[in-house]
Amino acid sequence: MEVLRLQNLQKSFGSVRALKNASFALNEGEVVALLGDNGAGKSTLIKAISGVFPIDRGDIYVRGEKVSIRSTRDAMDLGIETIHQDTSLAPDLSIARNLFLGREPVKLKWLGVFAPLDLAKLRGAASALLKRVGISKKLDADALVSTLSGGERQSIAISRAMQFAAKVIILDEPTNNLGVEETHGVLRFVKEVRDAGHSVLLITHNIHHVFQVADRIIVMRRGEIVAEQTVADTDLLTVESIITGADMSALLKETRAK
Amino acid sequence: MPVGKRRSSLLRSPQFSSLVILIVLLAVFAIADANFLSPLNISNMMAFLPELGIIALGMTLLLTAGEFDLSVGAVFGLAPVVVMLLVQNGEASIGVALLAGLLLCVAIGAINGLIVTKIGISSFLVTLSMLLVVRGAALYITQGFPLKSWDQPGFFVTLLAGSFNVGSFRFYTSLWWFIGLSLLAIYVLRYAKLGNWISAIGSNRNAAVARGVPADAVKVWLFILTSVLAGLAGMISAFRISAASPVAGTGYELEVIAMVVVGGTALTGGRGTILGTIVGALMLRAIRNGIVLIGVPGLAYNIFVGVIILAMLILHALLQKNAARG
Repeated sequence: MEVLRLQNLQKSFGSVRALKNASFALNEGEVVALLGDNGAGKSTLIKAISGVFPIDRGDIYVRGEKVSIRSTRDAMDLGIETIHQDTSLAPDLSIARNLFLGREPVKLKWLGVFAPLDLAKLRGAASALLKRVGISKKLDADALVSTLSGGERQSIAISRAMQFAAKVIILDEPTNNLGVEETHGVLRFVKEVRDAGHSVLLITHNIHHVFQVADRIIVMRRGEIVAEQTVADTDLLTVESIITGADMSALLKETRAK
Repeated sequence: MPVGKRRSSLLRSPQFSSLVILIVLLAVFAIADANFLSPLNISNMMAFLPELGIIALGMTLLLTAGEFDLSVGAVFGLAPVVVMLLVQNGEASIGVALLAGLLLCVAIGAINGLIVTKIGISSFLVTLSMLLVVRGAALYITQGFPLKSWDQPGFFVTLLAGSFNVGSFRFYTSLWWFIGLSLLAIYVLRYAKLGNWISAIGSNRNAAVARGVPADAVKVWLFILTSVLAGLAGMISAFRISAASPVAGTGYELEVIAMVVVGGTALTGGRGTILGTIVGALMLRAIRNGIVLIGVPGLAYNIFVGVIILAMLILHALLQKNAARG
């Protein structure tokens, strides 16, 4: 079932057309990788979907319904959660407080921002969540995020997105700055997220990771989507050549012939 | 979290190490001079403490959100001066004048906050300029002369600068203000939703904004709060000594920031502790008072204050490193 559809999205910054005419759809329970060189328009696209800035033209549909996304809050309320590389968690807060940041369970709701946090509920829900995603053995809900490793932080950020029943989870370079083992942990986690029924849009530079977890690949170049293929129907070299715009396989044949 | 673990993390917390040092300092002063713990001296310390302490509470919240305010000392001077000018020129009753003074503080804080958040200039530069504007305004409207403050007994004097005796101790109502505001600040920072937001904004603003936390609005309100508390402290002080001087509060901004960071709040934001600030306020007061009593020459005494503050900061930094390693 289709969860998210983008139709003819356009966005310019001054005279730079960062997003020319982007259209694609994301289905339930699938991992789609968004690839492209620096400046291809990947981050503009995900920022538009996650409500960082409004689009100039085009339509966004969530589960077939046309929506307007004007703020990060709008996106979250529609079930679109974005996990940016290093900006997702507050290191000086505990895991539990991070998990519920911006959506804190409170008592005496009428007190507004002065309402007391429901600490028991906060801690309980955090522990339950950590257990559910299988990282409770090592992590205590009261531990500060600053004491966690990069991979653990990514896992926490992804679990937070899952917890709010996000339909679409956007991962922006989730394996950047991670060690080999941690990278595998995060990729395994991405598969689990998909198996739990969430859709994942994965932005990465690392094509190898894409072939490990993604079902489909979308390639962007100069603000446009230039290719859309299922992983089964393509290979690393083809994708690489689409990204750079050069025909790598032809190049390779040439060198081999020599 | 197991009890043992929680206890050891409390022992290693910055406010706890500050508390230990405070106790050591108090003991040293008490042994060096028997008068240090006399009712008269304690009463004296407690008279000064709330005035800077109240500002330090606002500054703690602001620092935790990653900003700071250098204009508090100037606002401390300007607010009571404006109040007394309004009263003496017969333009307002004392109640209305106090309200006008506080509204002026709201405006100053709002301007600080809006320039910092909307235009994106660092709070250091914005509030440094505001310090000059505000102090200059206080000097200009008084032509540099101190004003006689309101000293007719009545509701407002009792409310802000009334005094009462407990045994042979003499305390001012400002102590109640400080205790009440401290409890409120502890509640907000540790237990309220807003406190979670404040810490998150100071720790990683982008993360907070990405979760829908209105970071700019929170900061603007914290600038307003800090300014209002500085104005309130200025009025309390002016009423207590029956004079409103345009140069009152000079240098307080640094003294207050020192109290806050000595207590263990991080200058870089994200980590704030009101209990630490209370300990820090007590400590700076005790130091200033104690080193005079034990006979350090008046002109040398900033040397001691500076060295003790530095020692505290080094201690916090070492503890922080240790905690990160453990």
